[in-house]
Amino acid sequence: MSDYAIEADGLRRSYRSRTGWLRPQTTVVDAVRGVTFAVGRGELFGLLGPNGAGKTTTIKMLNTLLIPTAGTARVLGHDVVRETREVRKRIGYVFGGDRGLYERLSALDNLRYFAELYGVPAREQKARIGELLELVGLTGREGERVEGYSRGMRQRLHIARGLLHRPEVLFLDEPSIGVDPVAARDLRKTVADLAAGGTTVLLTTHYMAEADELCDRIAVIAGGELRALGTPTELKRHADGRRVVEVEAYGVAPGTVELLQALPGVRGVQIEESGAAQLLTVQSESDVDVQSDVLAALNGVRLGRVSARQPTLEDAYVAIVSGDGGPARESLVAA
Amino acid sequence: MRLLTIGGVISYRALFNWATPAMFIGTLLVGPVFQLLFFAYLGRQLGVADDGFYIVGNAVLAASALCLFGGSMAVLNERRFGTLGHVLLSPRSRTLTWIGRALPYAGNGLLVAAFTLVMGKLLLGLPIPAGAWPGLAATLASAALACAAFGLVLGAFALRFRDAWLINNTTVTLMVLFSGTNVPRESLPGWMQAAGNFIPVTHAASAARSLVHGASFGSVAPRIGQELLIGAAYAVLAGVLLKVFEAESRRRASLDTL
Ligand SMILES: Nc1ncnc2c1ncn2[C@@H]1O[C@H](COP(=O)(O)OP(=O)(O)OP(=O)(O)O)[C@@H](O)[C@H]1O
Ligand SMILES: [Mg+2]
Repeated sequence: MSDYAIEADGLRRSYRSRTGWLRPQTTVVDAVRGVTFAVGRGELFGLLGPNGAGKTTTIKMLNTLLIPTAGTARVLGHDVVRETREVRKRIGYVFGGDRGLYERLSALDNLRYFAELYGVPAREQKARIGELLELVGLTGREGERVEGYSRGMRQRLHIARGLLHRPEVLFLDEPSIGVDPVAARDLRKTVADLAAGGTTVLLTTHYMAEADELCDRIAVIAGGELRALGTPTELKRHADGRRVVEVEAYGVAPGTVELLQALPGVRGVQIEESGAAQLLTVQSESDVDVQSDVLAALNGVRLGRVSARQPTLEDAYVAIVSGDGGPARESLVAA
Repeated sequence: MRLLTIGGVISYRALFNWATPAMFIGTLLVGPVFQLLFFAYLGRQLGVADDGFYIVGNAVLAASALCLFGGSMAVLNERRFGTLGHVLLSPRSRTLTWIGRALPYAGNGLLVAAFTLVMGKLLLGLPIPAGAWPGLAATLASAALACAAFGLVLGAFALRFRDAWLINNTTVTLMVLFSGTNVPRESLPGWMQAAGNFIPVTHAASAARSLVHGASFGSVAPRIGQELLIGAAYAVLAGVLLKVFEAESRRRASLDTL
């Protein structure tokens, strides 16, 4: 038996797609370009990365839905290409999104059918389904057809389905998408409990706080390549030697971001709308105090709260995926 | 076993577009009866064949179209709902899963064929010997099974090709033509007659006609056997194709594109 629950070794996957009908053209997208990592048994492992980074593709290779173009992967010691049945018996897959459910059936019937497909013994099915409906908070509405479900309700049903057969390894691809804050907190607790109970979890999410709270280790993937791998604390070091200034502003002129970006010492600028205001996040090197320069550049703009803070996982993430983060790259940039 | 039966019934409700009372009655019960009347009156007008020919032919055909589309929807609609990936993650026997899906359509087809036959008898007054009914039931059942298996073959193509409805509709039309349900087979060109031997419905329709004309069950049994054999062959073909196309979808990532 292998020591690891999930082992990915040099995984690659490219997609071919055809466009055009009269003159068909084939385009090849290299979605995953050689990803290697290992997840221990009972570990809660996060996979972060921008849209199109290759997270879902990686998960689909690990859960047997896609065959890698190159590289190998094993789940609980079973090869994902050759021993599909062994792998499938032991994994659960929750995929974020509206689709993937039988619209014309009730939640209960959806779960019944998948309980059958996923090999839940007949005499346990009823109790198990009841338990899961309770867990995801759908009790009382299980008789309604899924077509009338809200987005979050669908997502809860997705989660219940993924857990039906008590999988040893759980792939959660954006499980909290569309779920309200209270339910998201319940979900985080559920995931943490599962991991505490020995289930290995591979989670992707775009919510940094969620990843920070839950994950034992995190891999950041961008452009199909692994950019960083470590515990949340380790990853935050990628933003070490940085200072973050947040400025609340009203009516920032277009082009301001570029202006701020060009200031000496500034390493990254983000702008985010929040109601009537815009929130500017300026990351800078720690030995340069850019605050006064930033405020000068924003001359004439009405400002709200201005604050300096310690870098978070989100800052580290931004540093990593924007490609200039990390001690390893630092010298390159400076040179 | 539960996967075959309960799983089959749930999936039928999930995937069959016509599993609502209105659609069921309209498309599956009333529709075929009118089609039957259309052909029967046309036949009377042209003097090509008698009522019995059309009544029996269309009863068998009513079952076949349903089973064919049903088998195909059993796979095609998975793609529409985006559920195919979740189904393919099942570690259980694919054969049971897919056959379980085809069976309810066969049962449904049998029901529809029987209804059409009875309506034809009532509306057009076809005398059917009382002793012929058990044989007719067996014949219609064989046709329904064979068609459901054939439907799964079409369903398998739905895994691979986007334009599954094009294939379905063309197939049904060809089936009506080749099987001789509405055109006496003797009047077809030789190659069409030959093709008819290898598709569902042909042998069952011919057996049912003989029964209505008073033939004994023993004399039509070989034809029922042929129909079942054809059904079994298509079931095997469906199994192989589903396996091949599933493997291919893992390689080409063709599952989530529609
Ligand atoms: N079936 C497909 N056919 C062609 N290209 C695809 C297919 N699926 C994904 N891709 C491409 O592969 C790349 C990686 O996609 P993937 O879904 O793995 O990203 P992701 O990291 O999960 O993104 P997101 O955060 O948006 O979910 C993208 O460029 C995408 O366009
Ligand atoms: Mg994704």
